[in-house]
Formats: sequence, structure tokens, C-alpha cells
Amino acid sequence: MSRVLVAMSGGVDSSVAAALLVEQEYDVIGATMKLTCHGDELPDRPCCSLDSVNDARRVCDQLGIPHYVLNLEKAFGRDVMDDFVQEYARGRTPIPCVRCNTFTKFRDLVAKADAIDATLVATGHYARVVDGRLHRGLDPAKDQSYFLWGLRREILSRLRLPVGDLTKAETRQRASHLGLAIVANKAESQDICFVPDGDHVKVIERRLGADDPSLQPGPFMLGGRVVGEHDGFARFTVGQRRGLPGGFAEPMFVIGIDPATRAVLIGPRRALLGRSVFASEINWLDTPPSVGDTVLGQVRHRAPAVQATVVSIAGDRLELAFAESVSAISPGQSLVLYRGSQVVGGGIIERASRMLPVAPAA
Amino acid sequence: MPEPIYLDHSATTPVRPEVLEAMLPFFGPRFGNPSSTHRWGREARVALDEARERLARALGASSDEICFTSGGTEADNLAVIGAWRAMRKSRPAVVSTPIEHKAVLAAVHEIEEEGGVARLVDVTADGVVDRASFEAALGDDVALCSVMWVNNEIGTVQEIPSLVAAAKARGTLFHTDGVQALGKVAIDLKALPVDYLSVSGHKVGAPKGIGALFVRRGAPITPLLYGGTQDRGRRPGTENVAMAVGFARAVELAVAEREAECARLEQLRDSLEVALLAKIPDAVIHGRRAQRAPHVLNISVPGTDSESMLMALDIQGVACSAGSACQSGSIDPSHVLTACRVPHELAAASVRFSLGSLSTDAHVARVAELFPALIAKARRLSGLMTG
Repeated sequence: MSRVLVAMSGGVDSSVAAALLVEQEYDVIGATMKLTCHGDELPDRPCCSLDSVNDARRVCDQLGIPHYVLNLEKAFGRDVMDDFVQEYARGRTPIPCVRCNTFTKFRDLVAKADAIDATLVATGHYARVVDGRLHRGLDPAKDQSYFLWGLRREILSRLRLPVGDLTKAETRQRASHLGLAIVANKAESQDICFVPDGDHVKVIERRLGADDPSLQPGPFMLGGRVVGEHDGFARFTVGQRRGLPGGFAEPMFVIGIDPATRAVLIGPRRALLGRSVFASEINWLDTPPSVGDTVLGQVRHRAPAVQATVVSIAGDRLELAFAESVSAISPGQSLVLYRGSQVVGGGIIERASRMLPVAPAA
Repeated sequence: MPEPIYLDHSATTPVRPEVLEAMLPFFGPRFGNPSSTHRWGREARVALDEARERLARALGASSDEICFTSGGTEADNLAVIGAWRAMRKSRPAVVSTPIEHKAVLAAVHEIEEEGGVARLVDVTADGVVDRASFEAALGDDVALCSVMWVNNEIGTVQEIPSLVAAAKARGTLFHTDGVQALGKVAIDLKALPVDYLSVSGHKVGAPKGIGALFVRRGAPITPLLYGGTQDRGRRPGTENVAMAVGFARAVELAVAEREAECARLEQLRDSLEVALLAKIPDAVIHGRRAQRAPHVLNISVPGTDSESMLMALDIQGVACSAGSACQSGSIDPSHVLTACRVPHELAAASVRFSLGSLSTDAHVARVAELFPALIAKARRLSGLMTG
């Protein structure tokens, strides 16, 4: 039977993924990626902690399969964490999970799979591979296909996503039935694995220094007027409401960040609405659409996919016009193109063209 | 799947049947506490004293010079920190090497934390202490030198007798970590004037969790633990009678069998080495130009990485190791190879085979076939990725 390397975080999803593959009589090998130092960690982290490595090892022992810990710390620091802080320093809002999938899991981990003759790789992602094409997971509440657009297309034929057909509740049920008591009722991991307390500013401070310009005071601007001072634009993201000056007739939101002047641009809700988006680093997982084609475009993990028309494609850059206005398109997030439930491709959002002009910093 | 092959004896060894047999009564009827005055206590005390005496005799020591510990780490900690704390007022410095086991390096680091001075001497590319650097580090301010006898990663044997002589000439105490030396080099503490020697049970067929520190009569030692007066106050806590008995038996056997077993292992190791070098001419054998213990073969092949090799070998049933495993089980680059100035790429490719009681001609023959085949495949892949 084919050998499959399963990336195991010690959580319920990847544990069940491994168990299902064992059930299907694959030659399964479990691996936990060590991505950050386990020296000074928080004990109650649902994933990436030392306890999680131990949990993954115990699950593998129970399943009767080998387990290895792969030290990918250096590459992860370079490909994911460095990019994460640099993006914030550029006034953007990165998604490290996308780069982790693209580089760490589906490039570096696949290289390890090659080294042990594993023709297949598997993860606990809620997404599906059907006939070599990537689709959304069946559970709309858990679908993680948004984070997977960066895979090399040729990986798809080697990829197995055993829990993509299940709902989260079903996954937990399977875990209980399989006797995987260690992980069946484990808490969900919500945060970014290297930002355990949700405070990304600490990570920026640690890697770029507290004196980085993105952490220095700057103006809040409303329509070209200074309306207050903030303590670092890296603390803000487009669409954010928290931490803005008050006293306006209507609620204010971050509508843009200008790193050159360290300005955080704010405006009313309607100023967040965009009608088209420009993206770069486009990667295709199927035949690319042509200019004028209709696709579905999704600009955030939790946002709905909206009908859109391809305006232009030039190299790895793309412009997409939405049929209806879309709120809070944030540079650094991903634009993912779907045809029905299929992921056709995706890219990194560079900018949006808004319904209302965003006043530049004075 | 073919028969699994265990080539990681430097990590640990199976408990010998003779050792298990010697221990069993102490998990059963002879369960007493050696400090008790009644018959159960006396029985346990006699067994403990006998074990101490037999271990001492096997090492050329007196029984009052043997302090049982929980293992090699505690013995190293007790020697290095215990000797330094006793001497620190007049001699605040310690001298050691960068290729020590973490149990010594971390103890040396603790001494620095407590205000002491640490001097790590240079080693050659083969992991031998650089004599000039060692002499330069000595001085009237040095409380203790700690130099491991046999290196656990590359097997290099240090010139302990002459290093001891140099240290003694400066009035400095000398500790050697003998965990990997036990059963591999001749140890006679009557002839070798070290002040402290650490040994561990599970490297020689006793269980994990027992070790000992030899403390020469008159050598100062400040205990690390606080409690009762067991072991002359050097190591409070109810003694692990069963394991002390097992340890003594294991050491007696290891010492008695040493010459024959070392000759056997050396022949196996050398034949593996020759076979691997014949098939992988650009492989690097670490410590090869130095005097090496007979059971260790540490090899790096350019264009490969330890992590993938260990996985591929394990899947084929061959157990060996690389670098030092961190607590998660992932592999960190070896501090020993780094100290020997092995280039990073090569250090990250190292694989350590360590032979021992379970090793046979058939094992060596199989690894001599398998390892080059896996290497060839790994190199094809890395060629594909970089080319």
C-alpha cells in the first residue's frame, strides 16, 4: 500500500486524519513539525507546544505507526515569521498560515516525505481533493480551503485530506469511536501558532525591535485631517474599530494605513466598501480563467465568496471586479478564486479600489 | 519488515538478564529500607554495602569513595557544582571543554550564574583537547577541571592521565565524566589520580535511574540535595538498593568482559567503517584520526541531512541517532561537531552508530548495504532540489 506522511499537530483533526488513513490500510507515518522553540512556552496552548508533540506521539503509538519530530524551525522563521513581521511593518495584514502551507507544509514537509519514499502527504485540513482538484471542506463552518491556494499544483495528486468530508462534530465523534481519548475533546486552536496570546505586536517587537517605525506614534487621519495620535500602525488592520478616537457622529473604522507617513486612515463604514481588488503572487491550481470570465472571489477567511469578473491578468498579477461591493479588503490578506466549491487559484491582496476615494495623508 | 537492528548503545542498553536476576529479590521479599534497624533494614543495608564494595573494587576504588546517584547527570552535577562550591572562595574558576555532555556544560553554566568563572578549552578537529589551550586555562584560581573521558557523540578518548597530571601540578581538582568510558577503557582509580569520576548504569546493562560518583578520599564535595545522612551526607534520600545491586553486577560483568568485548566491537565497527567508506568515498568519519572508543562510528555524508536519514533508517528497522535529541524529540545541531569546527552542512548530516551487546556481524553487513543505498537516494533527491 502507498506510504503517506501525515502532518500531525497533536490536535483532533490531524489525529483523525491519520487514523482514517490507517483504517484505509495506507502505510502511514506521522510527523510533527517543530516550528518554534519549545523552551519558554505557554502550557495551555492547543497546538505547537511540547505537550502537543507528546500527544501526537501517543496517538501514533496507539495507531501502531511511527512518529517523528521534524525540526523546521529555521525555514519557518525565514519563510513565515520574518514575512509576517515585515508585512506588518509595511502596513499590511499578513496571513502566516497561508505561507506556512505553501512553504513549510507543502514544500519542506513534502521534501521529508520524498526522503522516506512517501508518495502521499496528508494533513487535517478541512478541504477536499476531488479528481486532482482542490475543493472547500464539506463543513462550511470549518472550511480551510482559503488558506491552501499557494500549493504547487502538482502536489494535489499526492495530497490526502481525510477529514475534509467530515464536519467538526463528526471528526470528534470519530476520534471518540477510535478511542483517541487524548485528543477527542481538545480545545480548538484559534490563534496563530507563534502568537499564542493574540498579541502580534510582541512578535514584531521581538523580531524587528521596539523602535521599528511601525511601532512608533503616528497620526489618525480622517479625510486629510489629523484627528488623533496612535502608538504604532502595526497595531491596526483595515476594518478595525477598536482603539480609534471617538466623538464622531458615526462609528469609525480603519480604512487604510500609509507606512510612509505612519498614518492610520479612518473613515465611516461605507468607506470600507470596495468594488475591485488587485492581487499579486497569483498561483493557479487549475486552468486559469480568461479576462472577462466570471469567478467567485473571497478576500477574507470568514467573508463570503462574491461573484466577480476577471479584469486583467498579467504574469502573476490579477485584477478582479466584484459584482457587488465588498467590505474591508485588506492588503496582505489573500484573494482566493473559486468556481463553485473549487479553488481555482489565489494571490496576495495588494490594494482595493474603493467606492469612495480614500484621502491620502496630507 | 526485516529484523530491527539496534545501533544506539551509546543512548542506552538493555538490562542484562544477570542484572535483572540480581535485582529481583529487592523488588520482592528484601524490600527493606537500609536505614532501618530491624532485620529488613539490616538485610537491605548489607546488600547496599556489598554493592558499593563490588562497584568500588571493579573501579579500583574504596567503597567509601562510591556515592550512588540517580544517574550520570546527577553524578556530573554533583562533581562539578559540588566541588566548585566547596572551593569557590579561594578558587572561583572551573576549566572544561566545549564537547562535554550537557550535564557538565549546564553545570558549568550554573557556576557562571552563581558568580564563578568558566573556561572552555579548545579541541582539535578530531575532538581531542588542545594541550596548549588546556595548559593556558589552568591557574591558581581554578577549583576544578572537568574533561570527559570518552565522548558520547564521536567516541574520542582524551589523554586523561596526562591532563590529570597537569591539573594536579597546579593544585587543581580533576573530574572526568566516565559514562561512555565504563566498559570501554581500562579504569583503575588506584593508578589514575582523578578526584571525581562519573559513571552511569544504563550504558552498561543496568537500568536507567542509577549511577555513581567516585569521590576520592579527602576530595571536597558540597551536597546538592538536603535531607538525611545517607551516603555520608553526600547524597541524602533513601538508597535505591535494587538498582545499586544491579549496577554493581553490571559493572563487574562489563569490566570482566571488557577486553574481549572491545576487540569484538572494534572489529565490527572497523568493518562497517571500511565498507561505508568504500561505497561512499567522500563520507567523513568524525574523530577518525584520534584515539577512539571501539563502539562509536559517527559519519557525515555531504548532501544529506541527519533528520531524513534517521527516519529512513528507522523505517528500514535500523535504530541510530544524531546530534543531541531535544526534549521534543527533534534533532538540534551537535554542539560537539560545532566545537570541532565541522562545517554546519556536514554537522547537520551526521549519523551516529553505536555498537554494543546486541550487535552482530549480520547487523553490520546489513547496514553496510542499506546505508549507502539510502545515502544514494537522499543525494539524488537533494541534487534534484538544488540542481
